[in-house]
Amino acid sequence: MLQTLAQHDRDELIAPLYRFDRKFWGIVAFLAAITAPGLLLYGRQLIVGLGVTDLNRPVFWGAYLVNFIFLIGISMAGTVISATLILLKVEWRRPITRIAESLTVFGLMTAGLQIIMDMGRPDRLLFTLIYGRLQAPLMWDIASLTIYLLTAMFALYLQLLPDIAILRDTAPAAVPEWRRKLYKFLSFNWRGNKEQWERLEKAIVTVSVFLIPIGISLHTVTSWLFSTTVQPGWKSTILGPYFVVGAIYSGLGLLIIAMSFARVYNPHLKEYITEKIYTNLGWIFIVMSGVWFYFTLNETLVVTAEQETLEFPIMASKLFGQFSPAFWGMNALMIAATWMLLAPKFVSDKPSRNPLMKTPVGLSAAVIGLAIFSLLWLQPVSVFADPVFQTVFILAFVALLFLALLGVTKWLKTHLIPSSVIASSFVLFGMWLERWNILMPTLTHARLIPYTTYDPTLTEIAVTVSTLGILTLIFVLFYKFFPSISIWEVEEGRARELGAGD
Amino acid sequence: MNFPLEQPLFQFFYWLVNTPGAGAGIVALLIGGALLTFFLTLRWIFSAKSDEQEAHPYPPGQ
Repeated sequence: MLQTLAQHDRDELIAPLYRFDRKFWGIVAFLAAITAPGLLLYGRQLIVGLGVTDLNRPVFWGAYLVNFIFLIGISMAGTVISATLILLKVEWRRPITRIAESLTVFGLMTAGLQIIMDMGRPDRLLFTLIYGRLQAPLMWDIASLTIYLLTAMFALYLQLLPDIAILRDTAPAAVPEWRRKLYKFLSFNWRGNKEQWERLEKAIVTVSVFLIPIGISLHTVTSWLFSTTVQPGWKSTILGPYFVVGAIYSGLGLLIIAMSFARVYNPHLKEYITEKIYTNLGWIFIVMSGVWFYFTLNETLVVTAEQETLEFPIMASKLFGQFSPAFWGMNALMIAATWMLLAPKFVSDKPSRNPLMKTPVGLSAAVIGLAIFSLLWLQPVSVFADPVFQTVFILAFVALLFLALLGVTKWLKTHLIPSSVIASSFVLFGMWLERWNILMPTLTHARLIPYTTYDPTLTEIAVTVSTLGILTLIFVLFYKFFPSISIWEVEEGRARELGAGD
Repeated sequence: MNFPLEQPLFQFFYWLVNTPGAGAGIVALLIGGALLTFFLTLRWIFSAKSDEQEAHPYPPGQ
């Protein structure tokens, strides 16, 4: 029985690795197409200089750094979640640990690219090390990022090792020679005897123990980059924990999206990545959401109540000024995401007679609400600047948001996976805006220059899209070489379930 | 009152945090240490010798 299931697992998880069908090439072509413009424009930036961006004093960090912090955040969560689940011996972790760990590695790689893109002269990158002093937070960031990347790669490799050996031993005859050599090289002399397994398990647990504090250090170091400057708006002791919570929150979002993408790409994975995993991750999501809202309130309340001369204008620009659409948009997205995951747990599956709980009503309210938000943001005519008019529209937007959420609750209840993906997308966009809201209001309200503006140029927008393209492309290509679900972990789980030992 | 920088230990710390390149040295040590640890761990795993010749697809004895 166990052997039949093991063979079934291997068939389902290994066979797609050798299938280069139209779907695969279509995805690669699409990702290459959205990546290319950004790379071309970056090439232009390299030749012409940073003048093609809107970066200038005092806004010396822009969209690239927002991307950097966002990507560091999503990368932190993958391994930390995986390591925590491994240490707690949570059984349902088995099909998702590989995806979580790989997201960490790919996220860190693309985060590193942002730093290079942010440098007008990337050829001077080595100077940061040659002339870097230990007092510089950038130095701590380099150390933390590099060690985290190396440790995450090592953890991913340890988890992959037995599966690479399976690929080495089971590669079909038609597999190219270079690919066989690759598997042979990467698996070294892994034989899978008892002592090797014991040592591997010890190593995985030890690395997991170290990964959690290293991951937390990476994101708090990024927050120190801000806190150790003299800029108003960043001098906050909660910034470190706030970054960490936001990182786990957005990382969970990306994990859910990546899992769902893998399920759609290879429908056989539905057998492994089940609805139970979505439900369990959803609960972690809801907890992180609660903590995130509390920290956001904390950050906002302290500065608003204090009304310090330099700090308060920055907060005011978020609450009522130039950055209010991004700030309130972020909060609206987070409220919607939390509702999507929490509310369906309190309604029944049966059709409701309440007209407010009909999906068309919810969708109509969402469309009108979005239109009102866009008008408030863009302010096409001057009447939108009128405070009374604005107040009415803001109240209408809040009411419509509530109606929209109420209307789609039934649909969310019966569509767990699509609703989790939509909620995760909201969280990802919301967390990108959060990073924007941390960086931009302060940089545009620097000490010596009281007010300036920053609008990302086409180059910065294209590079941002390109970054997402590169991240997804690496993900797709990596899982054409290695199984997206840990075969040995799944087989071990089956053996435990059947109580068959080995 | 004694000024801390009169003491050699604090003078060393001052030198350590303010000297260009010293930071890189510390970072290189950390990264080098991590890489060495990973290498030794892999060597330890692969060098495992067992009387048992049977290969297990997942950790045995669960």
